[in-house]
Amino acid sequence: MNGRTRLVAIGMHLILTVWTIFVLAPIGLMLISAFKSQAEIFTKPLSLPGSLNLSAFQRAWNIGIGSFMLNSLLVTVLSVAVIITTSGLAAYVLARSEAKVMKWLYILIIASFAIPVQSVLVPLYQMVSGGHMLNSQLGIVLPYAAFGIPFTTVLFYAFFLEFPRELEEAARLDGCSRLQIFFRIVVPLSGPVVASAAIFQAVFNWNEFLLALMMLTEKSVRTLPVGIYGLTTQYSSDWPAIMAALTIATLPLLILFILAQRHFVRSLAGLGK
Amino acid sequence: MSQSPSRMLDRWMSAGMLAPALLLVGVLVLIPSVLAVVGSFYEFGITSQNWVFVGLSNYARAMADPVFWTALKNNIFLIIGSIITQVGLGTLFAALLDRGVRRGNTFYRTIIFMPVIISSIAVAFVWILIFDPNVGPLNAVIKGIGLTPPRLGWLGDPNISLYMLLVIAAWQNVGFQMVLVLAGLQAIPKELYEAAALDGAKGWRAFVHITLPGIRNVLMVGTLICIIGGLKVFDLVFVTTGGGPANATQVIGSYTYLQAFTLGNMGYADALSVILLVVALGFGWLQLTLSRRG
Repeated sequence: MNGRTRLVAIGMHLILTVWTIFVLAPIGLMLISAFKSQAEIFTKPLSLPGSLNLSAFQRAWNIGIGSFMLNSLLVTVLSVAVIITTSGLAAYVLARSEAKVMKWLYILIIASFAIPVQSVLVPLYQMVSGGHMLNSQLGIVLPYAAFGIPFTTVLFYAFFLEFPRELEEAARLDGCSRLQIFFRIVVPLSGPVVASAAIFQAVFNWNEFLLALMMLTEKSVRTLPVGIYGLTTQYSSDWPAIMAALTIATLPLLILFILAQRHFVRSLAGLGK
Repeated sequence: MSQSPSRMLDRWMSAGMLAPALLLVGVLVLIPSVLAVVGSFYEFGITSQNWVFVGLSNYARAMADPVFWTALKNNIFLIIGSIITQVGLGTLFAALLDRGVRRGNTFYRTIIFMPVIISSIAVAFVWILIFDPNVGPLNAVIKGIGLTPPRLGWLGDPNISLYMLLVIAAWQNVGFQMVLVLAGLQAIPKELYEAAALDGAKGWRAFVHITLPGIRNVLMVGTLICIIGGLKVFDLVFVTTGGGPANATQVIGSYTYLQAFTLGNMGYADALSVILLVVALGFGWLQLTLSRRG
């Protein structure tokens, strides 16, 4: 390696390293601040905590982070399950049918993909409150599902179009119905695309804030994002407790990500195709 | 002509398989967007049942409302700014990881992607702490090297707060753009570069004639994601600045929320969301026509 290429290589590493430090610094600040005392936050903003003080975690936990987390888990699992099942069934029929109606239905799905949730805030709120489903898990799971379906259906549709039809034809000759073919032949071979869609929707719904802010006003049903938001309006100067709460909320997903980062990255990158 | 029983069964089954998805999307996405259009012609409050027909006056009100124009301008600023910072830096880092550095690729990629999966609420609060005038480490550093931090605070000064939001958004989203472009780069067949090298095209010329056309589609998707993200931005603004100071960082999403749920002007909020919807559908249509051509 001659001098010039070595210099270029060092320069490239330098650029990446600078951004890596920029990314890590706020995460590090969150972790460090969670272990500080309230006095240390004010007097020594740049230093490490004097001792490993866990009281902030205890305060955060006592405020109800545990229940926010359970609510988030429940809402996320339910909405992802509904999204994957309904989108899979619909996309399969849309991809296998030649009827004109189906083309129009598919276009309708694409059009609804372009509708942002901000565009329907008022009617959605009134529908959910009119159905007495404010502050209920179902009242938030159903909108999450509805807004996740269009994108997932488009994703599955593209996958099913390229799915080899010979297998399905053989099963059809054996007398399988469409539903049986779907569950016995197509589903078992759709693992990667299902994982992609599920990871994407899970990250999205775990972090969703706007609808949850509107619909989950009671503390007992709040998910993590609204729960933490409410907590900070209540304990605005208790930075260690807020950072401890953020740490508790963020760490599980971060650990999961580092363990399965290959799948995460591939799944999210694949969405761009 | 009568159909065989199994075909009839197939039809009913297909309808049954389609129904759940269509029902959910129809009832909770399509009907509400129609209702938003209807509601935008009325004046009504959160709980009141009195709908007063006001014609187009909610739209006229938006046109005459300086905060609406500020909000729209801020959305556009955030869209353009995030395309430059996120797509730009994302492409740079992806290029470095794909062809530049040979060691530590997975490490860099993992760390840079990490913020993508953190909730924007958590991101917002950590950055509020960073920017805090009293306890924030940023001011401590700035004072430490003998400079004066902005008197009104990083998020409190209307002249710089929007740029700070751009910094936070870049911190969170550059990793996503990076893996998007990286996937595009890795899909370019290596033989293309070898063939071009034989023809004498290397370095910059190979980049212009092979790399750029190869990632044209992913760059378009990345840009579209920035546009949609910039139109829909809410969490970050709502939590960090609440649209302030004095509406300086208001965006359409936060302003709609403010009008609807804080001020109770549901009809006006509907009009604001319909305007957003039209813009969003316009971009959706543009993307569809562009991708058909490409």
